[in-house]
Amino acid sequence: MKDINELIKKFNSFFQEKAVLTRKYKQQYQIVTGRDELLGILNWCKQYSFYHLANIVCVDWLEDEEFELVYNLWSYEFKIGCLVKIRIPRARPWAPTVFELWGQAQVYEQEIHEFFGVYFPGNPDLSSLFLHNWHDLPPLRKDFDPVEYSRQAYTVEGLGVKPEYEKEDNSEGRES
Amino acid sequence: MKKNVYMTNLRDERQNAWEGILNYFRKRSMWMLYYCTGCGAVELPPTMTTRFDMERFGMGPMATPRQADLLLITGYLSVKTLKRVIRSYEQMQDPKYLVGFGSCPINGGIYWDTYPVINHLEMFLPVDMSIAGCMPRPQAILDSFEKLRDEIQEGKAVGYKRYEKHYDWYKANQDKVLNREDAVLQPWEDPFADKPTLEALQAGEKMEEGEDK
Repeated sequence: MKDINELIKKFNSFFQEKAVLTRKYKQQYQIVTGRDELLGILNWCKQYSFYHLANIVCVDWLEDEEFELVYNLWSYEFKIGCLVKIRIPRARPWAPTVFELWGQAQVYEQEIHEFFGVYFPGNPDLSSLFLHNWHDLPPLRKDFDPVEYSRQAYTVEGLGVKPEYEKEDNSEGRES
Repeated sequence: MKKNVYMTNLRDERQNAWEGILNYFRKRSMWMLYYCTGCGAVELPPTMTTRFDMERFGMGPMATPRQADLLLITGYLSVKTLKRVIRSYEQMQDPKYLVGFGSCPINGGIYWDTYPVINHLEMFLPVDMSIAGCMPRPQAILDSFEKLRDEIQEGKAVGYKRYEKHYDWYKANQDKVLNREDAVLQPWEDPFADKPTLEALQAGEKMEEGEDK
């Protein structure tokens, strides 16, 4: 298939109301869809030359109480990028894994799970990737306060550390 | 008799004559291990190569911590790298010196308010010399090395002795950050921690919309 317009027609006739396709920029299209149709749409896109998954982005919409997952696809045939967006509820966020379609998605999903708490059923490994010994809220959520965390976790006051020289007996000075 | 009282702050360790001779040689052959955690490593190649030529002070790069005298912390330190830095530092043989590059090891620099980056390196390891700046130019680095050489000769650069003497203090601080058991602000309650929900999701069952909210 050489013409992108033909492909768009085909997409619209295939998915109809399940997905909304708009043109964002000259070389970027956007598909807004739901969680149930995600795998089907990604599979369809992969079939029609959008076989490069560049990355997966998670956006925290705090006021809407939703997470937005953005899948960045690229077509080498048309030289066109495509964003596939879904919204998932913030309280119990989960999305189907695309690990079966693109192997590299495993790491992206692992990272999103670590930094946003989004669960991907089917992903083989969702263990901690970057953070060390983390017990708090996932740190890239908007309701996480990094300044307060840093104050309490790493400063002298927060850790309750006495200066080193206070416990030293010869700190008053020495005669010479 | 006039009393000259000066603050010691553990930096001043008295040295005997033999120690002075040893220090004279120590300061002239410092092999450094640079821990390129942050952006400061970019200032080291110009310092090492022809224009500023660190070699004329007898300083050269070294591959392993066990053979190095000088540990350079070039830039910010996250908690995860702090663990590795401590390990490298403890592997080094006495005498060893630790230099913090730039603002980040001093007070966190521009990363002071981020969640993975520690703010004060001195709480976890004894820093012999800090170079302020973001990033320090090679002139500043060479100047600090010059000062460090003087301090070694005068017997003031004794971070490794401080580390030995106050190991419990340093170790307690390291443990507080590295082996944290509780949440700092509020604990994270994973909504998928319970097994039935997890198994239902993995089996591919659709969750009802009411359940999501």
